[in-house]
Amino acid sequence: MALRLDWALSVVVWLGALLLAAGLARRLALWRQGQPAPVAWSGLLAMPRRYFVDIHHVVAREPAIARAHVMTAGGAVAILLALGVNYGLMRYWPVLDVVTLACAVAMFAGAWQVRARRRAPPARLSRGSWNRLPYSLLLFAAGIALIMALFLLGPFALSRMFGRALAALAGIGLLLGGAELVLGIGIAGPMKHALAGLAHLAFHPRPERFGGRSTGLRPLDLRRPGLGVARAADFAWNRLLSFDACVQCGKCEAVCPAYAAGQPLNPKALIQGMVAAFAPGGPEYAGNPHPGQPQSSAGAVHADIVGSVLAAETLWSCTTCRACVEACPMLIEHVDTVIDLRRHIALNRGDVPGKGSEALANLRYTDTVGGHALAARHHWAVDLDIRVLGEGMNADWLLLVGEGGFDMRYQRALRALVTVMRRAGLDVALLGAAETDCGDLARRLGDEAGFQRLAATLIATLNRYRFAHIVTPDPHLFHCLKNEYPAFGGNFDVHHHSQLLAELIDRGALSLTAPASGGGSVTFHDPCYLGRYNGGFDAPRRVLRGIGVTVVEMPRSREDSRCCGWGGGAAFTDIPGARRIPDMRMDDIRASGAGRVVVACPNCSAMLEAVVGPRPEVIELAEWVAERLAVDVP
Amino acid sequence: MSGNVERPRIAVLVSPAVHPVSGRACAGAADLAALALGQALVASGAPDVFYAGAAPDSALADYLAHGCRRLLVLRHEPDQDVSASLAAAVRPYDLVICGIRSGGGMSSGLLPYQLAELLGRPLLPGLAELSLDSGTVRGAQSLPQGEQRLLEAGFPVLASVHPRAATARPWRFAGLAQGRIEVTPATGCGLTECAFEPERRALPLRAARAERGHERMLQAIAAGDGQAAGLVVNQGDSVEKAQVVLDYLRHHQLVDY
Repeated sequence: MALRLDWALSVVVWLGALLLAAGLARRLALWRQGQPAPVAWSGLLAMPRRYFVDIHHVVAREPAIARAHVMTAGGAVAILLALGVNYGLMRYWPVLDVVTLACAVAMFAGAWQVRARRRAPPARLSRGSWNRLPYSLLLFAAGIALIMALFLLGPFALSRMFGRALAALAGIGLLLGGAELVLGIGIAGPMKHALAGLAHLAFHPRPERFGGRSTGLRPLDLRRPGLGVARAADFAWNRLLSFDACVQCGKCEAVCPAYAAGQPLNPKALIQGMVAAFAPGGPEYAGNPHPGQPQSSAGAVHADIVGSVLAAETLWSCTTCRACVEACPMLIEHVDTVIDLRRHIALNRGDVPGKGSEALANLRYTDTVGGHALAARHHWAVDLDIRVLGEGMNADWLLLVGEGGFDMRYQRALRALVTVMRRAGLDVALLGAAETDCGDLARRLGDEAGFQRLAATLIATLNRYRFAHIVTPDPHLFHCLKNEYPAFGGNFDVHHHSQLLAELIDRGALSLTAPASGGGSVTFHDPCYLGRYNGGFDAPRRVLRGIGVTVVEMPRSREDSRCCGWGGGAAFTDIPGARRIPDMRMDDIRASGAGRVVVACPNCSAMLEAVVGPRPEVIELAEWVAERLAVDVP
Repeated sequence: MSGNVERPRIAVLVSPAVHPVSGRACAGAADLAALALGQALVASGAPDVFYAGAAPDSALADYLAHGCRRLLVLRHEPDQDVSASLAAAVRPYDLVICGIRSGGGMSSGLLPYQLAELLGRPLLPGLAELSLDSGTVRGAQSLPQGEQRLLEAGFPVLASVHPRAATARPWRFAGLAQGRIEVTPATGCGLTECAFEPERRALPLRAARAERGHERMLQAIAAGDGQAAGLVVNQGDSVEKAQVVLDYLRHHQLVDY
């Protein structure tokens, strides 16, 4: 009897393995609808490290559920391995039964905690089949534990009626719970995430992000037809795979500024929309929809994604702030997805909403976002007697001011920055009318052609001049030059002004003799393109500490900072929502109790300045440093 | 009336414009409206588009981006009169649409008239609206201060259109690769000498009577019942002043409560 039960379990193990393989093959066929992509097989070797280090960094931010997951998943994997060896290979070692029993108990405890959380789940979690999962896991763990216990008790236990009934019960539990595990990937159930997630880690579309940062957008080959992603099959295959890794935890939804503002974008629904597009007929999405939009309908592989699984407004609501990417425990790249879809619309249809089209036309004809004459960019510097770099001249520091040079509010900050740099004895020069737009806005709005033209123009300009370093107060310009121009042959030593100021203060190059003005507390607003995009969290804080300012941190600061609402051209496409993103950010600032907020980006400055008062004062980093110098900004 | 009434042949004339800020070549606003009208009126959405002149292809690329599939260029030497070659090229067409004036070059706005004269066809100038009705072109001519005049003529006919006559299709990068420019060499005679004269100053407007603004305002608020001036209330608090205004409104039945 006991022996036959052993055999029965062996059959079940092999059947499970076959079903799992069949399901994986089915999913593999769906991923292979995508475009070929170069992947390194060494990713498979790197997978454990990526799982235990990179994913752990994200998951550990919520310790309770992380522990529960370690117990559940760790238990399940150990059980499956032990079963595979002991029963799959027909060893029947009692010692492995003991190990399996212990793992099953751990898994049961973990699944029990997951179930407890599911009873009053946070709004960001998806329901539907995800609510079923903890019960399936409990059944599986309980079934395995019982069977192992019966085996360990030996033939004696199974000779009794009670023992047989218990074995039958355990068998049913094992089959029902086990079905969730082995069929998960085949029927696109919640357990799909386990295999797809591991494969995603191995073949991640941005392998550079492991052990570093990889935030620059990928160049698009403009000679190839198609231009961006219209249908699911236009994605690279490993991008389709990455969508399948989604566990619908909704951490992206919880941090998305557009979602919070009631704009029609929910990053989780976006990713699930992509899944619906390449694998139609899967289980119904049971999470929150894009605000104000009907629940996304089933897609079709050959239908355009925009118009079937999502509306164009969803794409144009994104501020590309990367809060979702930062929060995602499965390391999915939401922003890349948005940009690929935007590229297709912008390049093929040209209907960029709001002022987006106008801004792109301005860039096309004037190389400025606002349609200004290039010579007007440095009008604010006309009385500063600052050098304009000419051919054959030399400068230590080249100051690129970006579009902020046309903004009358921001011109004050630029004058302050020039004053500080000069007081530190730096040799600083401007580009004058030769400075053209870096193309950040064009690229985020999907106009890759416009971006590549602007990038080539600026790179050619910069290569004509002789300078040692570039400094800019604009994080968008900084990000483009630092992370995106190398792909086009532009390699420059570029610094954000916060980095330069921090260095000057650390070096004691500035005599900060004037008293600090104003009382009240101060908070710092992290620009997305300086912080999340480039890890520039400490430099601005070092500057503020250096000038004797104590910063009161907002709950949403550093990696968790909330976007001001400008990024990704969102200020231009201006998709309506229930609230405005800068108003919400100003509420964060107010809640910190600060009377002043320090910004380090011309766009954050413009967005926060535009919030109606009464509100905390918006002050640029360089302005405050200049205030502490015993000299008036001219 | 000639030509096919059901499927009229339509030609659109375009030329490069100069961007007012950067001076770069771009599409002209009125020519874009002409192109958009042509695209709307031709069943295929792709009217025959002509340019005659010396501008390089790159200066015309914007029209491809705005949805022009095929741009026929009559390539002239610089500073030649293009009207004769253009007239010959568009003679087979029932309707020729162009912008009211180019956005660059001489921008004299004379070309439509020259073509109409050479072809011996009527011209509907400066249209803000254009519609076809079985061989008849109807249009609303845009006049200063928002006035319009309805014009109509039978095929074959020329029309020059106002920049607001139609909304151009959006600029699409993909259009640059989808459209093509076909160049045919053409010759024309030299431009006729023209004499430039300074712009004549418009006479500044003078008020009919020399009065101060305050006096004119007092006259303007005078009641219609022969009283010379309105009532000026300097006394009392804001509630009393508001009551005066309310009484006035009630007296004139401007409020009904």
